[in-house]
Amino acid sequence: MSERKKLDRRDFMRGAAAVAFTGATWAAVGEKTETKYWQLDPAKCTQCGRCTTHCVLTPSAVKCLNQFDICGYCDLCFGYLQPGSRNLDTGAENQLCPTAAIERKYIEAPYYEYKIHEDKCIGCAKCVKACLVFGNGSFYLQIRQDICINCNECSIAKSCPSDCFSEVPESNPYMFLTGDTHLAHPPA
Amino acid sequence: MKEPVRKTKHPYIVGACVAAIAGFYFYLVADKTKFPEPGENLVYDIKKFEDVDNVATRYKEGKPIVPTVDGPKAMEIDGAGNLFVGGKGAIAVYDASGAETSRIAVDGAATCLEFTPDGRLLVGLEDRVAVLGADHKTMATWSGFAERTLITSIAANAEEVFLADAANRCVLRVDYDGKVLNEIGKADEARDIPGLEVPSPYFDMAFDDEGSLWVVNPGKLGLERYRSNGDIVTSWYRPSLELDGFSGCCNPTHIAFNSAGRLVTCEKGLVRVKIYEVTAGSFEELVVGSKSFKVAQSVSDMVVDASDRVLVLDSRQKAVRIFEPEAPAVAKAVP
Ligand code: SF4
Ligand code: SF4
Ligand code: SF4
Repeated sequence: MSERKKLDRRDFMRGAAAVAFTGATWAAVGEKTETKYWQLDPAKCTQCGRCTTHCVLTPSAVKCLNQFDICGYCDLCFGYLQPGSRNLDTGAENQLCPTAAIERKYIEAPYYEYKIHEDKCIGCAKCVKACLVFGNGSFYLQIRQDICINCNECSIAKSCPSDCFSEVPESNPYMFLTGDTHLAHPPA
Repeated sequence: MKEPVRKTKHPYIVGACVAAIAGFYFYLVADKTKFPEPGENLVYDIKKFEDVDNVATRYKEGKPIVPTVDGPKAMEIDGAGNLFVGGKGAIAVYDASGAETSRIAVDGAATCLEFTPDGRLLVGLEDRVAVLGADHKTMATWSGFAERTLITSIAANAEEVFLADAANRCVLRVDYDGKVLNEIGKADEARDIPGLEVPSPYFDMAFDDEGSLWVVNPGKLGLERYRSNGDIVTSWYRPSLELDGFSGCCNPTHIAFNSAGRLVTCEKGLVRVKIYEVTAGSFEELVVGSKSFKVAQSVSDMVVDASDRVLVLDSRQKAVRIFEPEAPAVAKAVP
């Protein structure tokens, strides 16, 4: 009887160890198989231009977004206009964007909405830098997850000089701009 | 007997080595050159704009003051030369040597400060104004101006007070009970008023040495001079990346007058502090250029003291940086 009890206890310990091992393995495997996506942190980006040239896709999977609650809806938008342009018209020679991906739309005097046509955007970040320096900094880059093929090793991440790239969980695949946005005010 | 077996092994070893070296080469060089570096057309060059203000200045930077208030945002100097720095929940007071001498608790985040001619301190608290007596106790609070108000600057004379409301893009003229008398700067074609354009929460104003109110029209990159009743007297705009103009979508962010009646301006983005003759709007000299600041920075506030030192509240360094003129200030031109 006592022999049987001893065996039972040993069996129980073995069983517990097996369950613990299986659980740990399952957890480890589970963690590895959770889908992760590449994303860039706009707060770290220094607008070097490599997001255009170093993506395996042409055009790049990186696109510019406009965070409207930060945007000043400026008439003299430096993200839209070439620096020093005198004419506030939509002529190609006045536009900063190399692909004319930004649309300027009149809202009310003297405010304008700036919409990015992502199908034309090549992610060069020229508008991002200009808006950051001269405007409210509402333009920012993000990897569009519906376009990105989620390379094993993102080739932009390998060459990004500002260490912007990391893998983010499927449930939270974008990094929005943060900061004090309540003081900015789009037209009422 | 020959020994062919040993010989036939060499090509494999050599091949493997060549493959390894080639792989290493591709890893180091070829892989990196697979993508072209972005050319001129794909990169926004800031340096050429910074170089514009690479000119001599007679202002030298002195020892800064590091304010201890949380989120320093507003500055003002009293008649005795004490510096008041307002932030979240408090205003710290510094004497001429830069030592903190006292601290005043406020109910909210100070967005701007102004002394009245009789020594009361007006504290902008986003949508309210607290009136503090000489003992720094709150005497009154003015509020209920509009549904959405953001007071970014206060200018007071003996009779009335002007509040710059960035959210409503106008200046409120109020009496000393905080009652709104009229609004200044709303677009009005019949009165030739173009309308104040305020795309960001930077909206300043100041009295010149004759008591006239100068209001920044930041979206038009210039200044407008108003009468109390809201009539516009004169205006000038300088949209330009050159040193004599204001850059970006909305500048200057802060203005003040020095003892010679000259207008001192501060810009955001490319931070540049400059001096203008105010009536003509003509650029006179640079106080400090953009290379002294981080690009894409905005200064929290700027004041000029009785010795014409320009004090800049540097938002990145979280310090009051002091720029002192080496030679006497430019004399005011005789009209
Ligand atoms: S490579 Fe990095 S720093 Fe350059 S634009 Fe892309 S995210 Fe910004
Ligand atoms: S300037 Fe560059 S990043 Fe901005 S919208 Fe055009 S292509 Fe996209
Ligand atoms: S993971 Fe691949 S497709 Fe996606 S942004 Fe990086 S290089 Fe482009």
